[in-house]
This record gives sequence, C-alpha cells and structure tokens, in this order.
Amino acid sequence: MYLSAEELAARVRELGAEIGRDYAGAEPLLVGSLKASFVFLADLSRAMPIVHGLDFVELAGYGSAQMGGHEQIRVLKDLDVDVRDRDVVVVEDVVDTGLTLNYLVRTLELRSPRTIAAATLLDRPYRRLVDDLPVRYVGFVVPDELFVGYGFDLDERWRQLPDLRLLRLS
Amino acid sequence: MQMGLESPDFQVYRGSEPPRFVSQAELECAKVLDYYGIPWEYEPRTFVLEEDEDGRVLEAFTPDFYLPEQDLYVELTVMKQSLVTRKNRKLRKLRARYPDVKVKLFYKRDLERLAQHFHLDLAS
Repeated sequence: MYLSAEELAARVRELGAEIGRDYAGAEPLLVGSLKASFVFLADLSRAMPIVHGLDFVELAGYGSAQMGGHEQIRVLKDLDVDVRDRDVVVVEDVVDTGLTLNYLVRTLELRSPRTIAAATLLDRPYRRLVDDLPVRYVGFVVPDELFVGYGFDLDERWRQLPDLRLLRLS
Repeated sequence: MQMGLESPDFQVYRGSEPPRFVSQAELECAKVLDYYGIPWEYEPRTFVLEEDEDGRVLEAFTPDFYLPEQDLYVELTVMKQSLVTRKNRKLRKLRARYPDVKVKLFYKRDLERLAQHFHLDLAS
C-alpha cells in the first residue's frame, strides 16, 4: 500500500478547506477530468465548505479505443454548463507530462472563464514537459510508479479500492 | 521517412524538412505530441559536448525533439536502465556546458501513461 484511505482522506480534507478559503465568497465550478478523478472529485467536493458547482469532461486518450483513429485529441464528454465568467478548478487524478491538462486548460480558456486553476491528487512535476500550467493544489508528489485504487485503474480494474496501491508489472 | 515507418500528416510539426525518424518509438512520440497539439521539431540542433585542443568534436548530442513553445529539448528513451544512465550522463554534460538550455528525458513510461495502457510495443 502506498497511501491508506485515512491518509488520502486527511489530505483531501486539507485541500478542500484550502480551496474553500481561496474561493470564499465565490462559487467555483469543479471540473472533473474523467475518469480516474471521480473518486477524488467526490471527496474533494464534500470537503469544500463553500457552495460550488460540479461538471465533468472526458478526453480521448492517445492510443485508446475511443481515439478511433483520430490524429487530434477530441472531447468525448463536454461540459454541460457555461464557464464564462466562472472560477473554474480543473480536478485531475494525476499530472505528469502535463500534455492532457495543457490541452484541457487551453480549451477551457477559449470559453472565457474568470479564472482557471487545477487541483490534482497526485503530481509528478519532474516528468513535466509543459511547465506553464495553473496547478495550484497538489495532494501528493509521488514517485514514477504505477498506482491503482482510489479511482486509478489498470485496464479498468481496481478503481474501487479505498486506498492507493503500488502496482508492479512483471 | 525511413523505410517501414508510416508517414502521418503531422498537424503541429514546426520543422522545415520532413522528419526522418530512426525508430518506431520516435514516431510514436511525435504522434503523441501532435495528438495533444504541442508544436514540435525533430532533431533541430546538435550540441557539442566535448572538443579536443584543436577544436575537433569528440562528443556531441542531438536531442530527438524540440518543443518551441516550451523552449525545451526532449530526448526519448525506451532503453534499459543502464543505457538510460548513459543518456543521463550526456544530459548532465549538456546542462553543464549549455546552462540556459532546457532538456529532459521522455521515458517509455511517459508514452505508456499517455496511451493509457502499459503494453505498448515500442521496441525498435
């Protein structure tokens, strides 16, 4: 085990309180980037002591079946709400190269939100290819390992585990 | 383009000549950058790492990719750890001689994570 359910919950509560302080008086919109972030987003939302909105996006990952031969990234599930003049907090499961978050942020910026920031449960800043990202809230900086549980999967398995576990592939 | 490697119509390639990849892994990396809309060039610059007293080049290094918007050179590696260590040594030399140049290794695992699965065949 890498992080227990209790350790995850404690850190997510801290992040929720921090975001709540930073956006006091505002009504931010949390945008979950599906799919692995859904557990983190659910806990983060309940840890935030302020009124806020929730929405989801899903991008077709490179090489995925959903990519369907397209050579440019595409949105599989778009936002349901208008983000114009809203304070948007993108919620990610993990940021490493930053390529996905970079695309998402650039896409959302075209819709004129008031502000845009990102919260990620896990971060690998040493793997970053794109540096100028608005990553403002980080749960844990983690080593270059594979994880399952707490929303993370391998071939769609083990997302439901309450803790975060290291995965060693043979 | 080398024989045997496909030649996609890249959208955000910023080089002046068509890229001539030497491995499937390089092609895959280029496709990933293109997919995410990150402008890229292929091997645009060779860095001299060591010269003899007559100015002859003893060691040089040509990173695989350059990302102009990030002002970042990227060296792809799908090798085993011992060879990665050798590449890391070259990168350290490059950083020492060109402290203003940003360069990073891009590992097979980075590609695999972006591909959302862990069985990519990048052997080349």
